[in-house]
Amino acid sequence: MASVSATIQDVFNEPGCGKNANKSEAERKKGCTKQLQPGGAAGGCAFDGAKIALQPLTDVAHLIHGPIACEGNSWDNRGAKSSGSTIWRTGFTTDINETDVVFGGEKRLYKAIREIIEKYDPPAVFVYQTCVPAMIGDDINAVCKAAKEKFGKPVIPVNSPGFVGPKNLGNKLAGEALLEHVIGTEEPEYTTPYDLNIIGEYNLAGELWQIKPLFDELGIRIFASISGDGRYKEVAYSHRAKAAMMVCSKAMINVARKMEERYGIPFFEGSFYGIEDSSESLREIARLLIARGAPADLMARTEAVIAREEAKAYAAIETYKPRFKGKKVLLITGGVKSWSVVAALQEAGLELVGTSVKKSTKEDKERIKELMGQDAHMIEDMTPREMYKMLKDAKADIMLSGGRSQFIALKAAMPWLDINQERHHAYMGYVGMVKLVAEIDKALYNPVWAQVRKAAPWDLPGETWQAKAMAQMDAEAAALAADPAAAEAARRAKKICHCKSVDLGTIEDAVRAQTLTDVAGVRSQTGASGGCGACSERIADVLAAAHVPAAPILQAAE
Amino acid sequence: MTQNADHVLDHFELFRGPEYQQMLANKKKMFENPRDPAEVERVREWAKTPEYREKNFAREALTVNPAKACQPLGAVFAAVGFESTIPFVHGSQGCVAYYRSHFSRHFKEPSSCVSSSMTEDAAVFGGLNNMIDGLANTYAMYKPKMIAVSTTCMAEVIGDDLNAFIKTAKEKGSVPAEFDVPFAHTPAFVGSHVTGYDNVMKGILEHFWDGKARTAPVLERVPNESINFIGGFDGYTVGNLREIKRLFETMGVDYTILGDNSDVFDTPTDGEFRMYDGGTTLVEAAEALHAKATISMQEFSTEKTLPFIAAHGQQVVAFNHPIGVAGTDAFLMAVSRLTGKEIPEELARERGRLVDAIADSSAHIHGKKFALYGDPDLCLGLAAFLLELGAEPTHVLATNGTKGWAEKVQALFDSSPFGQNCHVYPGKDLWHMRSLLFTDPVDFLIGNTYGKYLERDTGTPLIRIGFPVFDRHHHHRRPVWGYQGGMNVLITILDKIFDEIDRNTNVPAKTDYSFDIIR
Repeated sequence: MASVSATIQDVFNEPGCGKNANKSEAERKKGCTKQLQPGGAAGGCAFDGAKIALQPLTDVAHLIHGPIACEGNSWDNRGAKSSGSTIWRTGFTTDINETDVVFGGEKRLYKAIREIIEKYDPPAVFVYQTCVPAMIGDDINAVCKAAKEKFGKPVIPVNSPGFVGPKNLGNKLAGEALLEHVIGTEEPEYTTPYDLNIIGEYNLAGELWQIKPLFDELGIRIFASISGDGRYKEVAYSHRAKAAMMVCSKAMINVARKMEERYGIPFFEGSFYGIEDSSESLREIARLLIARGAPADLMARTEAVIAREEAKAYAAIETYKPRFKGKKVLLITGGVKSWSVVAALQEAGLELVGTSVKKSTKEDKERIKELMGQDAHMIEDMTPREMYKMLKDAKADIMLSGGRSQFIALKAAMPWLDINQERHHAYMGYVGMVKLVAEIDKALYNPVWAQVRKAAPWDLPGETWQAKAMAQMDAEAAALAADPAAAEAARRAKKICHCKSVDLGTIEDAVRAQTLTDVAGVRSQTGASGGCGACSERIADVLAAAHVPAAPILQAAE
Repeated sequence: MTQNADHVLDHFELFRGPEYQQMLANKKKMFENPRDPAEVERVREWAKTPEYREKNFAREALTVNPAKACQPLGAVFAAVGFESTIPFVHGSQGCVAYYRSHFSRHFKEPSSCVSSSMTEDAAVFGGLNNMIDGLANTYAMYKPKMIAVSTTCMAEVIGDDLNAFIKTAKEKGSVPAEFDVPFAHTPAFVGSHVTGYDNVMKGILEHFWDGKARTAPVLERVPNESINFIGGFDGYTVGNLREIKRLFETMGVDYTILGDNSDVFDTPTDGEFRMYDGGTTLVEAAEALHAKATISMQEFSTEKTLPFIAAHGQQVVAFNHPIGVAGTDAFLMAVSRLTGKEIPEELARERGRLVDAIADSSAHIHGKKFALYGDPDLCLGLAAFLLELGAEPTHVLATNGTKGWAEKVQALFDSSPFGQNCHVYPGKDLWHMRSLLFTDPVDFLIGNTYGKYLERDTGTPLIRIGFPVFDRHHHHRRPVWGYQGGMNVLITILDKIFDEIDRNTNVPAKTDYSFDIIR
């Protein structure tokens, strides 16, 4: 059994991830996501990432080994849906106490596993490691192994304590646990040429069910869902699938790639967000299945379904188009959703004025450029002040974002719609797109937004914080416009590498003086990208700009 | 029988026992001429149809389940808002018992009010003697500082003249000559409780300002900078008036609340019975003449009072039970304009919080359809708030709503895209509402306690906002005015929306995939 650190190293060495593949050996060891900044308001931990990735397996008992915090705060906080079993929703935890911390919690964990098996008899128990037992040295792998032998049930250790890194790493470690302990451990009763794995889809708000009728109609069998509305057995025999679709590109890429490597299951990355994306994904599934032996007429049948569903969805959306005419959207979201939603929104007649690329990979960004044109505003980080300015300049009528940005949107007086996990509407597939459009319509036309944008009637013009911030920004911009030297200094002062605190000017000077051509050169000269490595793409942009001097650097709000 | 001392059953349980069930079944079978259940069912279903609705709306004489009360009820409500004042209702005692129980059931407080206990004799020969004896006894027994006289129908039908009667009573020594006995004629066959409130409020002001029925000099107005505030007939008076006082004090406004019954309907339990508590002092009532302006929170509760005040030289401003951001904005702006006081940062923050809360929850209320009924001003305030939330006040009904009120509601509908498919029903009753709920269904019903039968019949979830609320406790303690009040109404509406979502998703293994922790 591999140690946690070895597994992490292995996960970082992910050839399926373009971003990682571009890194040097040293960078890769440091991790695949931005290092957490002490003092900053950070996202979830690796434990959370592992739990959210696996918890949608609905017939499994998910046992959290740790103090109450870990399960207590995360219990049932995702909108995944189950078509049957409810045990996944039951909050099992060892709820360890002071005595356990002193004497070790392994016995309690073992007993807890036994009690779950005695009382609930689930097909498997997943045991999640958390910070405290990891620090005191509880060996959950050993406990799980012993329990498995004793009770004759799969007891799967998920070794992803919170402190090992961010949420995204936890997703991958969860995938590793499946690869190591679950996938390939059972055999299906039968197989068909239409067996498809779906990986990285969590059935949030039941969105997988919006697609499933189409699969059923085409005769395509969702062989294993990892993990939305999934069952343990399916995952255990998922290695016999003919093809796989990878839904959330960053979360479980390791699972899809390793299954291809080990079992020869070809996969593609696709999305069911948006009409054209849905169609494209259906075609790709048909293509892969045919390549693996499904009858060739599957493609014709798929095309027929696509044609029918597209016509239906477009007809439904058509009615909104006049209402959306001239309406502009700002997207603040992560990863896969940025490009897949861009296409969807354009289909509804909305104009996109910007999208965040904070969690997007280089490929994601390329796709955004394809969809929105070369001059798309890709926003790396936006302050509320900048968001407000975008709105004020009539650049956006609505912001679509994840739950945490919601409040920023509200303070920036912008209509907002949640398109991340903690939402209650399913946006997948053709029906989902219509739902999304209906929700956008609501958000655009709810009278509270006019109220939000209006100052209180007793406020004098120019006295709201927004007006003051705008005035300040305008003054700063005017000062810079009047003084080219200051403007140049401000431009050069923009931080490129946050870890090593290297600004644009330093990098530009180094590039020019040393005639550097690659990121590694810049790193050796200036130290930039020697930290988390996340800025290497920005450095690449600087390098590109140095060779085409006219191209401006993209900024959040110009 | 099944009742035993160790475990005494309430009527919920007791009559479900087999012997009672048998008894009830026998009674039905043998004495009640039971109809074929299929026929009953057929009629029940027919009563849900558009055809029945047409017949229902064609009713000319019969009112079924009216959503209004009588003038004297409003009269009593207004009178107890003055310091140590006992309402004296000239007429039948039975009527008075109704007002008292009505308020007691709503506020869960004793409600003190006396009557002249007119009998058959009085009905034939006039109620003068009842007035003389009644005032004397009231004065002697309850030691009030003021007796506010209003009437029931009985006195009105025979045409008793309160002015003359009170004068005679004073001459006969019932109460001292200088004792304050304002009066108002409040027949139940005219208007509704909001009219009664209006008449008594005007009667009391008239008494103090215009020479106490020619027994004192007419006061001369010496304008000052204070403002008067009249709440109107309001089931939320306890919470609302306290909130209004807080708003005024936060702004530093010099104010007088006319008819402040927030304390008498909310007395503490500390061993002392307070027949009277709080209230506008008689001095304040008199000096209110000098105020710069008077604000009425409910136009239709002060249709006579406000013109009366305006005729004495004050500015007057009327609102329609404002609820929500825009409504409170308009109210505070009017206060600010009249007093020259600025709206402090504290209130600006409260405003921002309400806007924030509305925005947070907007998706859940957006486009939801509501039917609502109640007093005319409350309907206007609530409908405006619903429009502000992006909801549709599809049916707005006031049994005591006039044509003028209906025009106002229609103008409100016309001001918002969410009002386009909404309808106003003046003078209609809850049986009309029942047909509306069946033939043109909505998501929620807003009304008083009586709406629970509509909720049961039509399956439309009821949100209790209005008067009376008998079957839920303490709602009257929470304001619905001011930004805080708007927040309370928002939460009340949202709670029901979420309760419904839970109720519709709670069947194990069938719908509970959506029975979520987070909404």
